Amino acid sequence: MNTTRRDLFKFVGGSVVGAFLTPVPWRLITDSALWSENWPGIPRPARGEIRTRFTNCALCPAGCAVRARCVGDQPVALMGVPGHPLSHGALCPFGLTAHHLPSLPSRLKQGPAKEAAQAVSAAISKCGPAEQVAVLDLRPGRTASWTYRRALASVKNGLYLAPPSPLGGSAAFDLQKAKTVLSFGAPLLDGWGTPGNVIAARENFRLIQAEPLESCTASLADLWLPIRPGSEEALAQAIANVLADRRGQGPGGAPADSAGRGQGNLAAATGLTEQQIASVAEELAHNGPALVLDAGQTPSAMELNRQLGSLGRTIVARRETPVPESWKKAAPVTNLTSVPDGSIRVLLIDESAVDGYLSWSTIARKLVRDNPLIVTFAWSRQGYGRYAQYVLPTAVYPEVFDDIPPAIDSASAAFRIAAPLVAPPAGMVNPSEFIGGLAGLPAADALRERADAIHKAGRGTLFTYAGAKSAALRDVKPDDFWKALNEGGCWLDAVDEKRDKPILPDMAAPGATESSTEDLPLVAITCETRAAAAPLSPLMSKLYQESNLRLSPNHAVLNPVTARACGVGDGARAILQTRCGSAQIEISLDSGVPPGVVKVAAGAGMIDLCGASTRAKVVAA
Amino acid sequence: MTSEKKPGKTARYGMTIDVDRCNGCGACMVACAVENNIPPAHEGANDRKGITWIRVFQVDNGEDYPNRRSAFVPVLCQQCGKDAPCVAVCPQQAVEVDPATGIVGQMPERCLGCRYCMVACPYHARYFNWWDPAWPAGMEKTLNPDVAPRMRGVVEKCNFCHGRWHAAIERAAANGRAIEAVDYVPACVEACPTGAIQFGDLNRPESAPAQAAKNGNSFRLLEKIGTEPKIYYRSKKDWVRQIASAPKPGIGKETSRG
Repeated sequence: MNTTRRDLFKFVGGSVVGAFLTPVPWRLITDSALWSENWPGIPRPARGEIRTRFTNCALCPAGCAVRARCVGDQPVALMGVPGHPLSHGALCPFGLTAHHLPSLPSRLKQGPAKEAAQAVSAAISKCGPAEQVAVLDLRPGRTASWTYRRALASVKNGLYLAPPSPLGGSAAFDLQKAKTVLSFGAPLLDGWGTPGNVIAARENFRLIQAEPLESCTASLADLWLPIRPGSEEALAQAIANVLADRRGQGPGGAPADSAGRGQGNLAAATGLTEQQIASVAEELAHNGPALVLDAGQTPSAMELNRQLGSLGRTIVARRETPVPESWKKAAPVTNLTSVPDGSIRVLLIDESAVDGYLSWSTIARKLVRDNPLIVTFAWSRQGYGRYAQYVLPTAVYPEVFDDIPPAIDSASAAFRIAAPLVAPPAGMVNPSEFIGGLAGLPAADALRERADAIHKAGRGTLFTYAGAKSAALRDVKPDDFWKALNEGGCWLDAVDEKRDKPILPDMAAPGATESSTEDLPLVAITCETRAAAAPLSPLMSKLYQESNLRLSPNHAVLNPVTARACGVGDGARAILQTRCGSAQIEISLDSGVPPGVVKVAAGAGMIDLCGASTRAKVVAA
Repeated sequence: MTSEKKPGKTARYGMTIDVDRCNGCGACMVACAVENNIPPAHEGANDRKGITWIRVFQVDNGEDYPNRRSAFVPVLCQQCGKDAPCVAVCPQQAVEVDPATGIVGQMPERCLGCRYCMVACPYHARYFNWWDPAWPAGMEKTLNPDVAPRMRGVVEKCNFCHGRWHAAIERAAANGRAIEAVDYVPACVEACPTGAIQFGDLNRPESAPAQAAKNGNSFRLLEKIGTEPKIYYRSKKDWVRQIASAPKPGIGKETSRG
């Protein structure tokens, strides 16, 4: 038999085809998979001695206690501390992933600190008599805050600014005592106050949530009141009228609000019936002690608290954490909203610790019109750094060495330190040393000085992690106290049995709500505000990108009816317009969103866009 | 294949999830990712291509505003106790039920990426590695040393934090005893701030899941298909329990929010 070239080709071709019917390809695939598991593209976890360290989370004012699992000195996992008197073992997703923050790609690594210091000194010397040098502290009450106030007391026209706060720092909400809680959109079960503390108290109170959208808190509330957007004031007034009627103080029949609206009109404005409102008022009055919370920090909510007798019961006075006597010659705390417009020449913004992001338009109107100097201390340029001449890089938790003031739901004063778990890189600027340096104040030992002042006061207890025990402070030596604080310990003030009713700051009446206009027919509601300014671990993509659990930045949700009216569909690109500007967004549809509302995720840019102006418009891109 | 064992001889780990306590914070999802070295999302990842061994879905009663009511349901591998579909279809024996624990395990070294198991899984609780695992520069040092990252092209899923289980065995052995039910909990259980997720041995009547299984408000996902899941959910809301047994057409995983 002659073997031709054709036969050879047939044999080879048949062999190739036949090979696919044998286990060989599968074996090759398996082996290549085994090989690929170890190729250099896959990182290998570091090995070393496993250690446990403790600290307190500095990402938000809750200051939850943290147990860090470390390989050598490198934290590889963060968890809560069960049995902690404040945080009760809870830690939010932001805190659980905080050990990634030092490696954030968007982090600032260096900044012109010397140049900024010279520019600030020069600008201060040129300040006119009516022009201010201000520090905006986005987390007041820290030891660093005291350094700013002390420094500003010796700077000409120095002004220490704090964001608006409903309780002014000298009082707290005591959820443990509340039996009924009425919340006007406050995210009570989604990051408000100290999450662990709220969860621990949740079994004891009935929660009534009044807000337009069914938020996480609304979905777990005992009663959700789906009110119309912007009608919180009307609902508070309507409830106040019912309470006044019950006490026989009301005008009876048809009490009216400042706009002259009767009870029927107030109810209509909220979208609820008069019976629903009366029922809520009855519950607040009968099932006390009651507490009214308000995300918008409006005076009417606090007025309701006064009527319900909450002051001294569920809103309690809180002593200030002791400070050295020599610190008390300090600039007073000034609410940002009470500063005259166009008066700040030099503004230093400490963004290294942020409790909430204020829209830039709120700040910008306070600046002089001609060339104000703005310096921010921040981990990235994503916040106010977009508007500043100088952005100076700061350490990020868990590198920071800072204290955390007591949260809004901490009935006792507290002192805890975010002790660094890793060392900050070179080139970071310490805001308190920078600002203290303007007045020649040494700030490096301020935390120790304050710890000594607390120890000198001699009251309260020290909670340490060795067996989760508390010890009376008077039984602890000063050095041991300082050591315990650096190992994540927490000082809690003694309960003041004779404490008076809290004195609350006067709150500004809310600005006139923009009425619906032809050009801006929608109401913008921002959610996910916790993520607005805080640094986010890349792993938070599990919530924002790899699932739809949370609304990701630049996404907006519309009711299908509203979307049709706007001419946009599901997944479409669109433009969101407000009085402050516009931004490109991606649309999702959800019939659970009220018609006429656009729900947007609150990044810093979106708060700048929607924060001061709730009216909006969506148009197809 | 079954993992049912006689009580007292081996463990049969399971979970109970109180839907009425879950606030949808997502702490379980990120704690799981940290513990099991699941990488952050690739640029092209979305809710279908991402990897979330436990995923919290927001489900609702199907009504429009203002009658809409929602709940959060964490869904992870249901650790089928009987006839686990993924085990049967795997051509590589990459899925095995550990007889000592009842945990349905996935071995990435054996997996060839055919994704039959993903198709077979009625709970959509398996995830495919579409990309090489990658972390931003410097973040590699935060990886958990007890868990190896998986390569591109393989399927992975919840294994009740097997690395923790192994560590617990070692600790128990060092103390001269066998592992007990209280010796370890998965990362999601430890991280849940509301205490909605509890873990334990179903063979022990006093454990939380065993107690929950007897609760009148307990249910399991797709119970009617007979896979005997070891994850017990609990809710006082009728509509939540109904969704678990008979999802409405069009309100499946593909269209629900989560």
